[in-house]
Amino acid sequence: MLSRVASHLYWMSRYLERAENMARILDVTQSLAMLDRAADSGGAMTPIVITEAQGAFAETNLPATYVNVIAFLAWDKKHPSSIRNCFESMRKNARAVRGSITSEMWENVNDTWLQLQDKVRIIDPMMTGNEFFEWVKERSHLFRGVTFATARRDQPYHFTRLGTFIERADNTARILNVKYAQEAPDTFDEKEEDNETDYYRLSAVLRSVSALEAYRDTYRDVIDARRVAEIMIFDEKLPRSLRYCLDEASLVLDELPAQSGRMPRRIAAEINARLRYGTIDEVLAYGLKRYLADFLLDMERLGNAVNAAYMELH
Amino acid sequence: MIMHTITPPPASHFDEMLASLAPSQSQTQGQFQSQLQSSEVMAKAKPMPPMPPLRFGPREHYQAYNQWLEATPEQALTQRRAQADLLFRRIGITFTVYGDESGTERLIPSDVIPRIITADEWTYLEKGLTQRVTAINKFLADVYHDQAILKAGLIPREQIEGNAQFQTKMVGVKLPHDTYASMAGVDIVRNNDGKYYVLEDNLRVPSGVSYMLMNRKMMMRLFPELFLKQTVRPVEHYPAMLLQTLRESTDIDNPTVVLLTPGRYNSAYFEHTFLAQQMGIELVEGSDLFVKDDYVYMRTTRGPQRVDVMYRRLDDVFLDPLAFREDSALGVPGLFQCYAKGNIVICNAIGTGVADDKSIYPYVPDMIKFYLNEEPILNNVLTYQCRKPSELSYVLANMKNLVVKEVHGAGGYGMLVGPAATAKEVEDFAAVVKANPNNYIAQPTLSLSSCPTFVDSGIAPRHIDLRPFVLTGREVRMVPGGLTRVALREGSLVVNSSQGGGTKDTWVLGDAEGGVEGKTEAEGK
Repeated sequence: MLSRVASHLYWMSRYLERAENMARILDVTQSLAMLDRAADSGGAMTPIVITEAQGAFAETNLPATYVNVIAFLAWDKKHPSSIRNCFESMRKNARAVRGSITSEMWENVNDTWLQLQDKVRIIDPMMTGNEFFEWVKERSHLFRGVTFATARRDQPYHFTRLGTFIERADNTARILNVKYAQEAPDTFDEKEEDNETDYYRLSAVLRSVSALEAYRDTYRDVIDARRVAEIMIFDEKLPRSLRYCLDEASLVLDELPAQSGRMPRRIAAEINARLRYGTIDEVLAYGLKRYLADFLLDMERLGNAVNAAYMELH
Repeated sequence: MIMHTITPPPASHFDEMLASLAPSQSQTQGQFQSQLQSSEVMAKAKPMPPMPPLRFGPREHYQAYNQWLEATPEQALTQRRAQADLLFRRIGITFTVYGDESGTERLIPSDVIPRIITADEWTYLEKGLTQRVTAINKFLADVYHDQAILKAGLIPREQIEGNAQFQTKMVGVKLPHDTYASMAGVDIVRNNDGKYYVLEDNLRVPSGVSYMLMNRKMMMRLFPELFLKQTVRPVEHYPAMLLQTLRESTDIDNPTVVLLTPGRYNSAYFEHTFLAQQMGIELVEGSDLFVKDDYVYMRTTRGPQRVDVMYRRLDDVFLDPLAFREDSALGVPGLFQCYAKGNIVICNAIGTGVADDKSIYPYVPDMIKFYLNEEPILNNVLTYQCRKPSELSYVLANMKNLVVKEVHGAGGYGMLVGPAATAKEVEDFAAVVKANPNNYIAQPTLSLSSCPTFVDSGIAPRHIDLRPFVLTGREVRMVPGGLTRVALREGSLVVNSSQGGGTKDTWVLGDAEGGVEGKTEAEGK
């Protein structure tokens, strides 16, 4: 397969995953806004911080209200990671390789994009709500389903999957880092600070990675901060945990041509080993923030290695 | 329920479907027609002469379809057309219109009413096309090697060597099997004299075949009942035929074939992706390829892979910045060197443009006689060459009745349709022609046949042409029919998609075998 095609496929799925994660983050942000009594407090900036969009948002000169932040991250034309631009970039990448994906996959991407054009016309950015975020998630689920059901288990499929899991691991780590580590910095002592807001905050974090039900099934107990971190990092069965994403990424890398794949395989295996054999106690002892910062750097290394191995044009 | 009827037709308007019932229908299609005769016809042909009132009825091969159409409520057509639009948009079959800021992607309207060609007519066309393209390939091999046709004095030397499309770098370059135009898109019209005329031979990177294929797919999806009613010869095997042609263009066993596209901003990008996918070959851009030791490789996830045959959808001048335009970022540096050494086959060959240039077009009948020693089967349109002073003065004096075209123009750009132009436009264009007469030719306006077309106002006649796609591998092949283009604006003769044209499915009926007549009687509904 052409290196350029591999790159388009990889970025196609990364952008879709990014759009979905953005929708998840904004959905949770909005429900938290309803709890946030002082609506203009720092909470509104959280999604901006998670996605490292401080600079871009500052350029708009808008006050950091929930409504402004959501409108910006969902619709802004200049911000490359707004949901709208993610879909735009996804389609551009898909269109460049529409011959390498199944026609069902392409039609799904194109259909999503066409529907988005309608939404751009109809939806008032200031009124963007749950319905839109559900739509984004649904389109993302649909694309994965179509891919799962129609694509040959061949290189195009593998590069598409690789993009999904690398992007997802990155996003889960960011959500955990900001929503959690920064808002409640390293306070894991069991001082029953058990107030209502904390419960909602934690369950919102879980919901943003579709892990609320999984949490209940696993622990059958009240939601506590330590276990939330544990399930999001180490759970081997939760499709959005770091461990699961790296398991999948390693499997995918094993399917790709071996000649040039040594470095990405090695880096993925190193990260994966730390997740397989690590514990939450070690992480907390080391410091959650530090741990996640390391993880994000590792993911960057992995992304660069994948690029150098398969996608560089020279 | 609103029923619609197609009668009474304005005289000569639905001539593609309807004909005078008077027994004057001649079978001239199979006969040879010399250029002299045809030019007399052309000179006399005036658009829409006053016709005596005649009784009209559907031409025989349209009968079955017409019965169905008359029994189908307009609502049903509207509904299915909406389905078709949705389908096309969803699949993303779009066309980029250059210089149109509003949207870089637009749908080419696809009409739901087919254009129908009889088995006999097609047999005639197929024979004529095979002859024509064979002669053109011989001509190309000749002008880049022995130049016998120039030595014989049939074509003035300066017409070839002074032609911008003549690639001097190709002189003496030996190509496998002497095939230059592996694929040709020959534009043909049916005039109101009932005869077919070749308008031009597109030999560089002819496009449109994907619309032919999608139109059929769509029609079969929307109107399955029509295909049960009569035998329509299939076209779906075109990509397989194209791949076979490309594989036959080299002597290498099991060659690696790629399709070179200028990229997703090109107007025909959809077609490039579509054909590559249908043939199962890589769709490459210039940056995917590189040259090493005079061989061409593509960069893959498994490392470099050698390329043996390139189906290129990029013009000559952009192919190699080292050999042609230096500023081309779309090509592959060093490609020409590999090509000249015979290490890669490029289809179509570099330099085919010299044969489809409008200034060379008038000589095609001569080529057929010269290389094949045969009489031309297909008619050429009488063409005035403005480079000849006597013809120039005729053109300038009669511009109002002529179509004047730039010799290198394509896509309906840079032309004047005399009868449709204002006095001012004619005057302006005359000045342009006078300033550079070598650059223009002129032809009488043909009265292109018109076919019922479903437009906003209902079913109305619109002018059509036909572009069959002729492939040359070890033999000449084509699928029956081709792309029918339709000028959607009332009265317009310009069918180019860049100028508001649409397309129609083109049906070549199966051999009589009772299919047509036998079934129509039974369709009483």
